[in-house]
Amino acid sequence: MSLRDVTGRLSIGKPTLSWEYWDEIKGTESFIFVATTVFVLLWSWLFARAPITSAVGGYQSLAVTVLIWGIFAIGFDLLLGQTGLLSFGHAVFWGGGAYAAGLFSYYVTGDPFLVVIAGIVFALVLAAVVGYIALRRHAVYFAILTLAIGQFVYFLAVSPLQEITGGYNGFIYVQVEPVAGFINLNQPLPGVLGTLWYDHLYLFVAVFFVFAVVLATRIVKSPYGLVFRSLRENEQRAAFIGINVWRYKFMAFILSAVFAGVAGSLYTIHTVFVSVESLYWLISGEVVIMTVLGGLGSVFGPILGAILYVYVRGVVDGFPIVGPYWFLILTTLFTVVVWAFPQGLWGIVGKIGQSLRGLTRRWNDS
Amino acid sequence: MIESALSFLFLTLSVAAVYILVATGLSITMGTLDFANMTHAALYLFGAYIALVIIGKPEVGGVLESAGFSTFGLGWGLVPAIILTPIIVFGIGLVLEKYVVRPLSDRNVVDQILITFGLLFMAQELMAILFGTGGQTISRPGWASGPLALPGIGTVSRWRFYVILITVILMGALLLFYKRTDFGLVVRGATQDAQMVQLLGIKVNRPYAFVFGIGAAYAGIAGLLGGTIFAINHELGVEILIPALLVVVAGGMGSIKGTIVAGTLFGLAWATANSVYPQGMEASIYLVAIVIIMLWPEGLFGSTGVEM
Repeated sequence: MSLRDVTGRLSIGKPTLSWEYWDEIKGTESFIFVATTVFVLLWSWLFARAPITSAVGGYQSLAVTVLIWGIFAIGFDLLLGQTGLLSFGHAVFWGGGAYAAGLFSYYVTGDPFLVVIAGIVFALVLAAVVGYIALRRHAVYFAILTLAIGQFVYFLAVSPLQEITGGYNGFIYVQVEPVAGFINLNQPLPGVLGTLWYDHLYLFVAVFFVFAVVLATRIVKSPYGLVFRSLRENEQRAAFIGINVWRYKFMAFILSAVFAGVAGSLYTIHTVFVSVESLYWLISGEVVIMTVLGGLGSVFGPILGAILYVYVRGVVDGFPIVGPYWFLILTTLFTVVVWAFPQGLWGIVGKIGQSLRGLTRRWNDS
Repeated sequence: MIESALSFLFLTLSVAAVYILVATGLSITMGTLDFANMTHAALYLFGAYIALVIIGKPEVGGVLESAGFSTFGLGWGLVPAIILTPIIVFGIGLVLEKYVVRPLSDRNVVDQILITFGLLFMAQELMAILFGTGGQTISRPGWASGPLALPGIGTVSRWRFYVILITVILMGALLLFYKRTDFGLVVRGATQDAQMVQLLGIKVNRPYAFVFGIGAAYAGIAGLLGGTIFAINHELGVEILIPALLVVVAGGMGSIKGTIVAGTLFGLAWATANSVYPQGMEASIYLVAIVIIMLWPEGLFGSTGVEM
């Protein structure tokens, strides 16, 4: 396509319904905010109750679970996708947040906002300790160290700290009270609102989800996020131009742990239970799979990965014939994607979009 | 007193033996070949299941059960398994080296970890589908179980004695291979400077593949030995991978001496916690590893390249 084609098309002038306009707005923060809001407003209806789309087996509780894992994956992408650090120990922050939230709700107060804050604070403290230990080494060592610390915390929770965590039985005394004393999370919404969102819990989680997307976008688009990416590309050069590498890595680690803590506490509120499995390495593995499968380095990629993963785990699991192979399907897909399409499913979607555009453009030109 | 100390020592060393055998191959791959190979644990997993099938006729679930097998195995006994398992896993290792390790050796380390982790998960799921998710145990014949009388000292578990003996022989053989053979010389040279070795007209691919195969075979035999000490299930891969990785990192990547020392320390921690504070048994080895890596970030015998 020559330059004249471009200018020619622009002179025809399709101000609001052209690809050029779309390219201009699609990366802006306000567009991402609006798109995410529209998405969460429609998501639970589309997934669980819409006439055609819900026929594939989605249900309300899973719609909430998807949003919660989405928050976790968005935060994880800040670390892996932006900064290039592979942590295999993020179950510590998910599970730690979940336990802190559960214990706080029982011993202090069950107000959901305060419960989430308790989860965040605990995840933050844990992240500072784990980050201090694990960030002494990089690459392979970092992955192994985070894995080791994760398993250490898990086994600590299983047996020596049984009195607090409930061991294999989990913590069963979670108390969820109404928000600010009067909005009961489990109370169904009336009429069309109920059809759209079902109950207050969904809206509560949705608010955090939108906030997580907006915050992650802000970080990614800020100079701070640019430093994260410079570390991913070449740590040594970043150090040469005077960037304090360790500090930025530490902050990326803490930020992603805070997202994990929010997600973990929301999961406690959602399930009214904390299982010790929430600290198990499998959780860390799952968030790695979703983030990478969906597409690293983009905000929507991890969300796509979370949707796919939670859907396959929660719904395909029960399908006849393929049901027992759900994890094999996911891991095979994951391996193939990392091997052959490192930009993930979101990247593939983008590429298909590009080639379709190329086709239509050629069609219009001829 | 002496007897309990002795049985404690044997418990320590037999657990350490399994860690050391798995970690050796991993240490060589990560130190010498510079490749983060999580599929190494799949070789341990395969070793355990291959040994299970060769030794006895275990009751199986999963696809094999629905295909009409209530028991599936050759039932040849322990000695053929000790000979055949490492040979088969050696073959699997060569295939893995050719089709996974070599094509991925140019990719960055995060990709290597992710892909090989994905393959490990696939291997585990495959075993779950084939054999079912129930636990299995390898039964031992009479000559390999019961107590063994050591004159003047006391009695120890006969099988643990054999496990330690096999490990000592295998590690000794590896040491001789490195120090005394031309192949070992090439590998040591290529670790220092692969390009220079190639310039001298020596193919490094073949020694690399051979060394990888040896590491695989050791993981396979570790699967057999581990299968007689711990239970066998499809999640064995990741279960052994985490301690094995920690042995490698704590010992220093590529250092076989470090692997042996760190493996023994882990066994010691495990056995100590087992008798003093059983609730902390699993957590103990992770604590030891974290402390070692905090104090010696390069590992106990950290260096670049294979050392004895």
